[in-house]
Amino acid sequence: MMSKLIMLTLAQTADGPTPPTFWMPTGASAHASNVDSMMWWINLIMWAFLALNTVLTVYFVWKYRHKVGTKFRTDGPDHNGPLELAWTVGPLLICIVLFIFGFKGYLDVRTPPKESYDINVTAYKWGWQFKYPNGAQSDDLVIPAGKPVRLVMRASDVLHSCYIPAFRVKQDLVPGRYTYLWFQSDFPTGMDQPTDGHHLFCTEYCGTGHSNMNRRVYVLPQEQFDAWTTKQANWLDEIPEEELYWKAGPKLYARCVQCHSLDGTKGIGPSWKGIWSRVTGGEGSNGAFADGSTYSGLIGAGKQYATAEDYIRASIYNPGEHLVQGYGNVMPTFKGQINDKGIDALIGMMKKLDEFDPKTGAWLKTPPTASAK
Amino acid sequence: MTTLPARPAAPTYDTPESDNYLTHDKGFLSWILTLDHKRIGVMYTASVLLSFLVGGIFALLVRTELLTPGRTFIDADTYNHFFTLHGAVMVFLVIIPSIPAALGNFVLPVMLGAKDVAFPRLNLFSYHLWIAGAVCTVVSLVMGSFDTGWTFYTPYSTTTTAGGVIPVIVGVFILGFSSIFTGMNFIVTIHKLRPPGMTWFRMPLFLWALYSTALIQVLATPVLAITLALVAVERIANVGIFNPAMGGDPVLYQHFFWFYSHPAVYIMIVPAMGIISELIAVHSHRQIFGYRFIAFSSVAIAIFSFLVWGHHMFTSGQSSLMNTLFSAISFSVAIPSAVKVFNWICTLYKGSISLNTPMLYALAFLILFTIGGLTGLHLATLNTDVHLHDTYFVVAHFHYVMMGSALIAMVGGLHHWWPKMTGRMYNEKLGMIACTLVFIGFNVTFFTQFMLGSHGMPRRYYDYQPEFQVYHVISTIGSYIMAGGFLLTAGYLVQSLVSGRRAPANPWGGATLEWECASPPPYYNFHEAPKVGEPYDFSNLKWDERGEGYVTVKPAEAKA
Repeated sequence: MMSKLIMLTLAQTADGPTPPTFWMPTGASAHASNVDSMMWWINLIMWAFLALNTVLTVYFVWKYRHKVGTKFRTDGPDHNGPLELAWTVGPLLICIVLFIFGFKGYLDVRTPPKESYDINVTAYKWGWQFKYPNGAQSDDLVIPAGKPVRLVMRASDVLHSCYIPAFRVKQDLVPGRYTYLWFQSDFPTGMDQPTDGHHLFCTEYCGTGHSNMNRRVYVLPQEQFDAWTTKQANWLDEIPEEELYWKAGPKLYARCVQCHSLDGTKGIGPSWKGIWSRVTGGEGSNGAFADGSTYSGLIGAGKQYATAEDYIRASIYNPGEHLVQGYGNVMPTFKGQINDKGIDALIGMMKKLDEFDPKTGAWLKTPPTASAK
Repeated sequence: MTTLPARPAAPTYDTPESDNYLTHDKGFLSWILTLDHKRIGVMYTASVLLSFLVGGIFALLVRTELLTPGRTFIDADTYNHFFTLHGAVMVFLVIIPSIPAALGNFVLPVMLGAKDVAFPRLNLFSYHLWIAGAVCTVVSLVMGSFDTGWTFYTPYSTTTTAGGVIPVIVGVFILGFSSIFTGMNFIVTIHKLRPPGMTWFRMPLFLWALYSTALIQVLATPVLAITLALVAVERIANVGIFNPAMGGDPVLYQHFFWFYSHPAVYIMIVPAMGIISELIAVHSHRQIFGYRFIAFSSVAIAIFSFLVWGHHMFTSGQSSLMNTLFSAISFSVAIPSAVKVFNWICTLYKGSISLNTPMLYALAFLILFTIGGLTGLHLATLNTDVHLHDTYFVVAHFHYVMMGSALIAMVGGLHHWWPKMTGRMYNEKLGMIACTLVFIGFNVTFFTQFMLGSHGMPRRYYDYQPEFQVYHVISTIGSYIMAGGFLLTAGYLVQSLVSGRRAPANPWGGATLEWECASPPPYYNFHEAPKVGEPYDFSNLKWDERGEGYVTVKPAEAKA
């Protein structure tokens, strides 16, 4: 009977996400209506008891106010067994009902259907990487509409937590373990505008960039989703070698921008400004490392890194080996995330940094036309 | 017909006690090396209030930064340090010691009609440990502070580059022992120093609450000490205990930490409930409704508190079975809490209510604790918690309980016993205004945060989505109103020390023993052992026009 009432109060609309209400944001998953009706009932209990307590308190204080100097009343009861039993058992019953319904809803959130679409998720300080079964990767989460999706999640450094308010789901990512999260959204959002889609937040405190780990969740119809993953899997391959540094460079740099500036601002990691001069024996090549070595001492024929490219590649794949003085060992490895072509693109960008906007990393030149080629 | 032995006449305004605990000895050393529980209580109170100022300033800085998305006036790292310091200072230096160590130290022996606690030297030592813990926190600030959140979650806390993690862990370790010693002292005092005639069920309810609290302090705090020691070992010696990179388990840390820190929540709220029982009974001048239910519910909460820690970890990766069990047990805490609230409200029924400042705080507590307690239902229910976990909803919930309830009760208790502690009355009118400001400011600040959280705003965020800004601005304005209320409070309390009216022995009409000795109490509390009566029998009290306080009279006279 109670579940019927819940259905009446908040019938899930089949034609679109539920609109935001006084308490809840827009709801766009199968779990959302469940959680929202539970919230609605608990809120009702809260308001009812709050009103009862407040009204009684205010009324009693006014009714039984004492005039200084007059006699104290002595007719108040000092206990009442049945009444006290009632307000022990009453709340107990309410709690049992809440527990049972919360538990049932929770089982749904925790138990993915057998036929789910798996996406691998890695959270790191401070970003997300989503890997799709066909090898495609993305920084924002893109999911097919109308299909249960299961996230297989791990963290590469500290605790993180994946929270999608519109789906009412959340799960911590724990280094050294896999955790799972599943949901299904039936309503495509499109992904043309940055404001399309839903929020995805990190909700486990993880340091400086914690609040910048917010990404979007885009829901696409199945055909569009398939087309997107196919394109995403091959995007680097389709770019000609000579256009790589300005087409792919800024896109890849978006993963670096949180820690590495282009304009010389000191961030979590060293700025890229002047990096090519430093690693090729130019200005700044005597810059020191935490272990006492210098750029010119490490890079060059016969040294640890034969070429500057070798050094850059090693710094991205194995960032902890040589730390620039003044910076901590915080960068995760990008091995398996950025392939050799991607490294080429980043190195190409480093070589021609003056062609890029020092704040945004956008390429400042106009693309060469076919004739200029 | 038998006549009752005459009680010593309560001193009135024109016969101030010249020799009291404040004037008994002079000089700095007479304070810092005192064994007098009253002086230790006063020093604790001053220290805790000073820490409250520091923690409050950090809170205001955090709220101010959150006025706009992105940078308002400090960078992300500074923000992370500030919210961490706010939490750590408020939890470890303010709320945990505020009621038991500060007010409890002063009130407990007097309520028992005793000269002091059972182990006065241990009592002083626990205060010195508190100072040592506070000094460690300051050292941490100098060495680069810490940005781990007050929860010190691993592996972030064992890998962060902030320089002050080890000193603050040492500080919290030491503060833990301060808390354990206070708890031990109170347990022994209540067992051994109750005067003849004071059976367990004739004890003021504040003592029941302090007793329950002391049990939790003694049993739970060692776990925190061990846990933090392990964090330090991992950070210094790279022994893998919690960091998976070295073979440890971060979820294990959460179990250890909450095994202490959930009971710690009750170290904060149970004594607050004790204060509220006193305030409501005394200012309603009426036998408390359901004495035994209130007393037993304190003990019940103390026991349940050890069984619910896992509800902090519903999304941590802990198994679904564990989550289910912890959800079920967590609901059980709601029952004794609800029992207490209903009993307090029924104590108002047919009372003789004087709406003094302490009573106003008690009424504020009733409303705020109702909200704080009931929003616990949202968080104990599994599927709603998954949505609300680690959002501002949780922040609002625990501020309603920790600040709106525990701290408000502490401030109410401070106003209640202020005349006893200092021998001075404060300005009632300003007290009522300040309490109203705090109440309004508090709700504006934190009710807004419930809505922030349920709309999806995660906690510990430096930067946020523009759609949340309106809530953040309202919340920040509320925090300024609250700050205004507390500044006003500080103002009139200090003013009362300078020029306040001399306090009578019993300004509110209380029937517990502390109102029978002078204000401020003599060095040994009572000139002769007081006669123990019912703690909530107000029939022998009569208003004395001349002393502007209550005096105890023979039953026959009270009827006249």
